[in-house]
Amino acid sequence: MTVIVEAEREQLTHLLRSVAAGDQQAFGELYRRTSSRLFGICVRMLRDRTEAEDMLQEVFTTVWRRAASFDPAKASANTWLVTLTRNKVIDRLRQHREEPTDQVFEIEDDALTPAADAECSQERARLQQCIEALEPQQKSALRAAFFSGATYNQLAARCNVPLGTMKSWIRRSLIRLRMCLEQ
Amino acid sequence: MITTPERPSDNPRYAEYVLGALDSAERAEIEREIESNPTAAAAVAWWQGQLTTLAEDIPAVTPPAYVIARIESELGFASPLLHTPLARTNPTRLGWWNNLPLWRWLGIGASVVAAACLALLVINPQRAALSPPTQNEAASYMVATLSRDNGVASWTATMDLQRSRILIVPASPEAMASAHSPELWLITPGQQPISIGVIVANKPTTLNLSPALLAKLSAKALLAVSVEPRGGSPTGLPTGPVIAKGNLSGA
Repeated sequence: MTVIVEAEREQLTHLLRSVAAGDQQAFGELYRRTSSRLFGICVRMLRDRTEAEDMLQEVFTTVWRRAASFDPAKASANTWLVTLTRNKVIDRLRQHREEPTDQVFEIEDDALTPAADAECSQERARLQQCIEALEPQQKSALRAAFFSGATYNQLAARCNVPLGTMKSWIRRSLIRLRMCLEQ
Repeated sequence: MITTPERPSDNPRYAEYVLGALDSAERAEIEREIESNPTAAAAVAWWQGQLTTLAEDIPAVTPPAYVIARIESELGFASPLLHTPLARTNPTRLGWWNNLPLWRWLGIGASVVAAACLALLVINPQRAALSPPTQNEAASYMVATLSRDNGVASWTATMDLQRSRILIVPASPEAMASAHSPELWLITPGQQPISIGVIVANKPTTLNLSPALLAKLSAKALLAVSVEPRGGSPTGLPTGPVIAKGNLSGA
């Protein structure tokens, strides 16, 4: 598993650097390898297919234009791509949906289960260990925040708890995560 | 008294930013900090490295083939980025909707021929789709060619009834001032026009069709494009001139 993950990682880094150099074929290959994962994120967070398609287009045109700012010393290619995607999605969510929506929302997010061991990276496995150590409420608030991209206000409204409560669940979970991850 | 030096990752705001829980003003503040303060940038990068791995839990979804065609077009690439259709794996279900060469060819600056041809493809899916057609597939699409008064086609519209969406492809580029947006309307006999949504004048646009709209699609209905203030009609009804219209027909 690790060997494959490592090889995949190196290939992505290489592709992204070629894209930065203006290599269109590398861009096509990067799209082929990563578009379904990044589109999954768009669909998940925007919950609207059409908007997600527009978003994916914006993500990849931005990848083409900004690939030169990718620095493998600072972030893996995967982290760079996922971060770019989530940031764009969150910006879009803020533009259109700053107000809390009436949408019914289960904090026990989200029907997503942690990726199976065989598929996930070492980093993901380590994060999972630390997440498992959180209290159930903190854990689900953290996951809900990540997978929805919702603001504290929206999360609090959707879960029907005071804003302060939501903030303290998430902050505590982040502090405990950091301690666990830095061990 | 022993004090530990504050580590950058101690400030919860950086983690909250990466998690996505901050509002736009707070996000903008952190983004300014990242630009000017290497410590802040390092803290944010650390959290990104940790938290983005959570995204591995999200199931991958294959995007429709026309997305890459749009990207190629937007970036002005002359040669295709992908050589094979993405949808080989499940041709029966995806059919022409995921036929990449088709989208690439229809893409941008396509002519009236393309408009006529799309209608043909939908009527005769065996010509283009990767799979043999079924009655169901043929019955689940409707098409319309939206023409100007002089008969020249401006847009083609294809409605995918199963997926509740409509695709509008410009057939001949329509000049539009930036203060204006073209808006697509469904007009049924004896009723007020219903907005389907604002479209992009010179690029393919996909819009969702609400169940209420889907229910009104029939051979008696018309699609029309009007010129509206940027962002769409403020009143919910057409306020500007209708520049193209066409009847729906089953495919």
